[in-house]
Amino acid sequence: MRHYLSNIYLGVYTALVGMRITFKQLLKPSVTHQYPYDRPFEQKKNVRDIPKGYRGKLHNRIEDCIGCKKCEMICPVDCITITTQKLPKGERLWDSMNVVHLKDRTEIIGNIEGDEKPAPNTTVTINTQDNGAVTVSSEEIANVVERKPVIFYLDQFDIDMSLCMYCGLCTEVCPTECLIMFDNLGDGIEYSTFDRTDLIYEFAKPEMYEKPGDESMEAEAAD
Amino acid sequence: MAAPQPESKIIELKPFTDEMIVSMGPQHPSTHGVLRLELKLDGEVVRDAIPHIGYLHRCFEKHSENLNYQQIIPFTDRMDYIAAMNMNWGFCLAVEQLMAKEEGKFPGVPERGEYLRILIGELNRIGSHLLSFGTYGMDIGAFTPFLYAFRDREKILLLFEKICGARLTYNYIRVGGVSRDTPPGFMDEVKEFIDYFEPQIDVYNSLLTANRIFIERTANVAVMDAEMAINYGITGPNLRGAGLQWDLRKDETYSIYDRFDFDVPVGRDIPELGVVSGDCWNRYKVRMDEMKESVRIIRQILESGLPDGPVQAELKAVRPPKGEIFSRSEAPRGELGFYIVSDGTPKPVRVKAKSPCFTALSALQELSRGLMVADIIAIIGSIDIVMGEVDR
Repeated sequence: MRHYLSNIYLGVYTALVGMRITFKQLLKPSVTHQYPYDRPFEQKKNVRDIPKGYRGKLHNRIEDCIGCKKCEMICPVDCITITTQKLPKGERLWDSMNVVHLKDRTEIIGNIEGDEKPAPNTTVTINTQDNGAVTVSSEEIANVVERKPVIFYLDQFDIDMSLCMYCGLCTEVCPTECLIMFDNLGDGIEYSTFDRTDLIYEFAKPEMYEKPGDESMEAEAAD
Repeated sequence: MAAPQPESKIIELKPFTDEMIVSMGPQHPSTHGVLRLELKLDGEVVRDAIPHIGYLHRCFEKHSENLNYQQIIPFTDRMDYIAAMNMNWGFCLAVEQLMAKEEGKFPGVPERGEYLRILIGELNRIGSHLLSFGTYGMDIGAFTPFLYAFRDREKILLLFEKICGARLTYNYIRVGGVSRDTPPGFMDEVKEFIDYFEPQIDVYNSLLTANRIFIERTANVAVMDAEMAINYGITGPNLRGAGLQWDLRKDETYSIYDRFDFDVPVGRDIPELGVVSGDCWNRYKVRMDEMKESVRIIRQILESGLPDGPVQAELKAVRPPKGEIFSRSEAPRGELGFYIVSDGTPKPVRVKAKSPCFTALSALQELSRGLMVADIIAIIGSIDIVMGEVDR
C-alpha cells in the first residue's frame, strides 16, 4: 500500500518536473514554420539561407562541357545520357582558358598571366573574357582548373532528375567544373512537376556549334 | 496402469483461451520502419513473436558487385540512414585496410581528414541517439521528448548540410579522407552547438529518463544479460546496457580514437528505481550517457583545433589488390562489419555487410516471450533498430 501511494506521488512529481521544462518553452518564440505558406528562406527572420555547396538540382553549363563522359561513367544510377560527335581535325571552338576557384567559393574565368600554379604569397593577374584584368592574392586561390577547348559536338546531354540520387560524384569528377549542383532555393530544391517526363533535362544546344556562314550545318538543320 | 491425472492440472489448463495470431506491422507506427511481427497471443500475453523482415530489401550486396568502390559509398548511406556518416566510414575503413595490404598502395588518411571523420562521426552518433531517444519516448507514450529531440537533431543536420551539402544521405567520407574541407566559420558553429547541447542532455533526463511512469514501463522489462547478449552476437549500446564494457573505439582502436579521452558507459543495477542491468531502461540510458561522451570527444577536438593540411589522400585510383578483408567499426547501433573480396579490378567481387541491427532483432523473439503486447513496443524501441540496415 505504501509502495502504491509513493508510486503515485513519484509519478505525478516527475511528470511535473517534465512539465516545468515544457512550460518554459511556452514563453519562447515558436520554432515551427508552415513551410509552403510561411517561407523562412525568403523572410530571413531568425532563420538561415540554404548553405553554399548544397547538393540540389544538377545543371550543366553546356558552353564549357567538353563531352568527356566522365560524369556518365561515375553516376551510380545512370541518370546521365551523353552522345557526342567529334569535330573535324584541327578545329576548335575556343582556346584553352583557366577557371580560378577562390577559397570563398567564387570563381573567375580567364587566362592566368605567367605560371599556372602560382607560388605562395604572390599576386596573380587573371585576364578575364571581357578584357578586364583581376588581381588576387595566391593565398585566396583554392584551385585552378584548365578550361579545355571543345573537340566534341554534344548531340545529347540529358539528365533524368527523377533518377538522380544527389550523391554529387559527377560534379567532383568534372574536369571543367561545368556540371554543378544548384545551391539556391528556386533552382536547387523547388522544381517539382506534375509530369515525370518534365524532370528529364536536356542541356545540349546544337545551335551553339553553328558558325555564321556554315552552310553544311544549316543544311543539316533544314533537313 | 498409470496413475490418473491429478484434477488440479486440468483445471489449470482450462483458463487458456485459443491462441490467436496477430500481424503487427509492416505499417505499424512503432516498428521503426517496415517490420512485421507475427505475434502468437494468449489473451494479452505474447507466447511467440516471429519477426518477418525483407520489406526494405534493396539488394545492396549484389548491387555492389556491379559498381566500383566510389560508387558504392552513396549506397552505404541508404543502409542506416540515421547514421549515414558512420556507414560511409565503415565501408571506407574496409577499403582502406584492404588497400594497405599492398605495400605503398595506400599512403594513409591525412591528419585533418582523420579529425574531421571523428568530429562528423561523433556528431552523427549524437544525432542518431537523439532520434532513438525521441522516438522511444513517443512509442512509450510521451510525445514531448520527440519534439525536443528533433529540434536539436535539426541543428546537427544544419551543420552537416553546411559541410557536405546534404541532410540525410551525406556521401561525405571517402576512401582516403573526406570529400570537402570545412566551410568558413564551421568550427565556431560546432562550438556554439556543443555549448548549447551539453546542458540539454540534463533537460532530456528530467523530461523522460527520471520520469516515474517511464521507469515503470521499462525497468526490469526484457532483461538481456551479458551471456545472452554474447550468444546472440549483440553489440553496441545493447551489449553495454547488459553491463559489459565493450566498445571498438576503445578496445580495438581504429582511426585516431586512442588520442581522445572518453569513457564507455555501461548499464548497472539501481535497486531504488527497480532497474536491472540489461533491461530496457538500461539500454536506453547507455545511449543518453554516450551522447555525453561524444560531446567530450568533440570538445577535445575543439580545444586542440583541426590540424592544417589536406583532407583527402591523393590516390591514383581506388583499386585494392587481390585479397579479402573483414573490417569493423563502432556505429551508433553497434559493430558494423564489412567483408570485401577483391580480385584487383576497380569493382569488388563480393561485399557483405554485417549489420548490428540484424543481430539485435534476432534476440527479439526470446526477449518478448511471456510479456504483454505493450512491452513489445518497449523492446523494439530499446534495441533501436533501423530497418534500412536490417534488410539492406
